[in-house]
Order: sequence, then structure tokens, then C-alpha cells
Amino acid sequence: MIPLAEVGFVEATWVMVVKSVLIFLLVFLIVPVLTVAERKLIGRFQNRYGPNRVGPMGLLQPLADIMKLAGKEMFRPSGAVPLLFAIAPALVIFSGIVTLAIIPFGNVQEGIGLYGIDVSIGVLYFFAFGSLSFYGLLLAGWSSGSKYSFLGSMRSAAQLISYEVSMGLSLLGGVMMAGSLSLTSIVEAQDEIWFIVPQFVGFLIFMVAGFAETNRAPFDLPEADAELVQGYMTEYGGMRFGSYLLAEYLEMFVVSAIAVTFFLGGWMGPGPGWLDPVWMIAKVLTLIFFFIWVRATLPRLRYDQLMSLGWKIMLPLATLNVLVTAILVTVL
Amino acid sequence: MKEVCFFLGAIGCLGGAIAVIGLRNPFYSVLALIVHLISLAGLFLLLQAEFLAAAQIVVYAGAVMVLYVFVAAYVGNVEESLWEPIPGQRWIAPLLGLALFAELSIAIIGSGLKSLDTEGPTVELGFGSPEAIGRLMLERFLIAFEAASLLLLIAAIGAVVLAARRRESAPPGVQPGGEHVDSQPGSPAGIPERAAG
Repeated sequence: MIPLAEVGFVEATWVMVVKSVLIFLLVFLIVPVLTVAERKLIGRFQNRYGPNRVGPMGLLQPLADIMKLAGKEMFRPSGAVPLLFAIAPALVIFSGIVTLAIIPFGNVQEGIGLYGIDVSIGVLYFFAFGSLSFYGLLLAGWSSGSKYSFLGSMRSAAQLISYEVSMGLSLLGGVMMAGSLSLTSIVEAQDEIWFIVPQFVGFLIFMVAGFAETNRAPFDLPEADAELVQGYMTEYGGMRFGSYLLAEYLEMFVVSAIAVTFFLGGWMGPGPGWLDPVWMIAKVLTLIFFFIWVRATLPRLRYDQLMSLGWKIMLPLATLNVLVTAILVTVL
Repeated sequence: MKEVCFFLGAIGCLGGAIAVIGLRNPFYSVLALIVHLISLAGLFLLLQAEFLAAAQIVVYAGAVMVLYVFVAAYVGNVEESLWEPIPGQRWIAPLLGLALFAELSIAIIGSGLKSLDTEGPTVELGFGSPEAIGRLMLERFLIAFEAASLLLLIAAIGAVVLAARRRESAPPGVQPGGEHVDSQPGSPAGIPERAAG
């Protein structure tokens, strides 16, 4: 059988199956932890306790949330388009989980790579599925048959196109320095120095664009609960609504993981090889803490501010970064 | 497995393409076009052209079609005009389609089909990889590549100039840019509630 995509090396089928199941489990492990962490932290930032009633220190809160969401009716407005309305949340979750497959949690150990797949197109895979997840938002907004949803999805469309370009360009610097698109090679290229030092501008641009791409505050205009009542997911209920929440945390995890891979040395860290995944996850969680911190700190941008930041500051800066990196890589 | 993937991709491609011209609602047509492009990317994957597949999704399904969806959702169901905007289109279009089909058939039978019934074309290792495509673009086809980028640059500058000119000539009361003025205070025409009625 011809492999569907060129991978770094070949593994037995059962290894791939086990890995897929592990990635799937990781999703269902990571999201409840993140939700309770976010609510706890936001509580602390706002000088209150946060959830502390369900289970010890409120740690079982996500379980209660999931039970509540699963028990609710999956309501569909009469003006909605049934098929698209049902597909949209699935599309968002699908693209989130699929991108998790390329995140390297460690190098090849005992013949098994600690990642889903090592595709030769590496980071382009991330962008390809990122652009598919966008249709999840857009279809949700359009098929709901509601003005709030529609406005939210239109905002997200404009926002995602504007920031995707800068996001891609910000990673190009790292790609040029490593001379490869594959995420594992990029981590290995950071053996001497993490790319955050030479590529600091790229890191800043990637993080800002990452906030915009994941619709997190201060770029949460598509949801804007004060003006759009949650934007594109206004009309969703039950687990379909829950799946949008799940996808948001999933995307936050993926963007943090890509940032760690490109700028913070990926799995690199002191200690024996089996510590690699621990280092990776610790770094990712640090970045997620930063995401939550920013959400608790900054107010939401206005629409025109968002656009002028994206096109007038981020894009020229990212282009300049690519140019300077290209010249330096060639000269040095 | 390979055959199953090919037929899934091919059905997606053809079904999507037929749906694009068959569906009445422009929004659904755009969605069908996206299905078509993604299926095409799947076929590229089968041909070991991962870079092409990723580029296909990022550029076409991702960026270009987003703009199409944007426009189709905003403008929505424009009432179809009762007369043909281009006289005789009904007859000219199938003729042109047939001509294109004939031309493509000649081109394909002339070159590509030679590798049918053989082991397939000989392709060296690394063909279609990002490196190989980069070399082709920046070494062998440099002039064509630069000409294309110049064309895109001119188009971008032209768009900026046109937008700036329109902003100057806009009468007072119209918002600068002019796009955000909704002449009908009702719902955007694209959303299904209106489409059903």
C-alpha cells in the first residue's frame, strides 16, 4: 500500500492505531483540565474564588459541566439549515484533533516517534486544517438563520483572513533557520539556541496572530458576548455548543504547541529522554497560562483597531522579519 | 485501499463540480466548490504530491474560497434576472464547453495517456517535494515566476488605488469605504430565513 503522505519513517500499523487512540484520549484529558484551570485562574485574577463546590477544590467542575451540557436539548432554530447546522461543530472538532497529530512530544525513542505523524510538509498541514476549521465557524453562523450568528461568523471570516497571513510569515523565519518544514527537524535545529532568541519578532507576531486565530480575548470579536451574545454559536445548545467550547481549548493547545515547537525548543530540556514529553507539555501549559492571563487583563479590541493592527502593523513587521532572516541566513 | 481512496476523491470531485453549476443558491454552489477543491487535494495526496495538496487547501479552499463565501453570504440570493444578460449565452456556453473538452482531450491523449498500461511514469525521488518545487520556481522558471508575482503586485496596487479613489468621491453621509452601508435595514439577504421565503 502506498502511504497517503510521505512520512519521516515507517511504523507498524498497530503503532499508528495506538497513537491515534492516545491522541484522542489526550484531547479528552486536556480539555477538562484546561476549562477548570481557566475558570480557577480567571477567578483568582478577578479576586474571587472561582469554582470550588464540585469535588475537592472544585476540581470535578468540568465533569458537572459536561453532564449538564450532555443532558440539554440540542436545540435547532426553525430557520436553520439542518445538515449544515449539524456539520459545522463536527468540522471544528475534526480539524482541531487532526492538527494535534503533527505536534511532536519527543523524538524517536526505541523505534517509536512520540508524535502522530511527521509529515514532510509539516507546518503547512497545520495551516491546511486551520483553514478548514474556519468553515466550521462560518457555516455555523450562516446556517443558524440568526443575525447575531451571521454577524459573528462574518467577523471571524475577516479576522481569520487578516491574521492568517502574518501567522504564516512569522513561522517562515524558523523554517528558514532550520532549513526544513518538518516539525521534528525544526526542534532538532534548536539544539544550540532556542529560536525565540533570534526570532523574537516572529514569536511576538505568532502569539498575537495566535490569539486572533483562536478567537481568544482581546480578539474575541466573533463571540463578543456583550454585543453578539456569543456570535456564531448563539443558536447552539447541548453538546453541539459544548463542542465549540472543546474546540476553542483544543485550538489554544495546538497554537501553544506550535509556538513551543517553533520558538521554545519543543521537547528539549535537561534530563533523560523519557522526560521529553513532560518538558513539552510543561512548556505548552505555560503558554496556555499566558493565554488565560491575557484574557483576564486586556479589553476587547474594536473592529477597526483589529483590522489596522493586522494589516498595518503585523503584516509589514512579519514581512520585514522574513526578509531580514533570509538575508542573515544566506550571509552567515 | 488506494483504489477506494481514488474513487472517493473522484466522486467528491465530480459531484462537487456538478453541484457548483447545478445548485440554485450561490452559497451552496460555493460550498460545493470547496468540496470539489478538497477532494482534488485528496487526489494530489494519492499522487504523492503533499506540498501541492497542502497548497491547494491553504490557498484555494482556505483563502480564495473564504472570500467567495464572504461575498455569497453577504449578497446572498440575488433575484435572477428574467432575461439573459448575455444574449445567446444558452447556446454559446455548451459550444465553448465542448470545444474546451475537445482541446483537453487532445492534450491529455497526446501526452499523459502514454503512461497508461505501463508501470506508470518514472518519477525521481523527491519529486513534488517543497524543495523540488522551490527549485523549479526559482531556478528553471524564474522569469515566469517573477512575471506572475509582478502581475499580482500590480493587481494589489490597483485595488488600493481604486478603493482610495472611491473614498474621495463618496458623497457625505456615505461611510468611507462604502462597503458597510446596508441599504436594506432588514436581514442580510444571504441568511437562510430569507432564502426560504
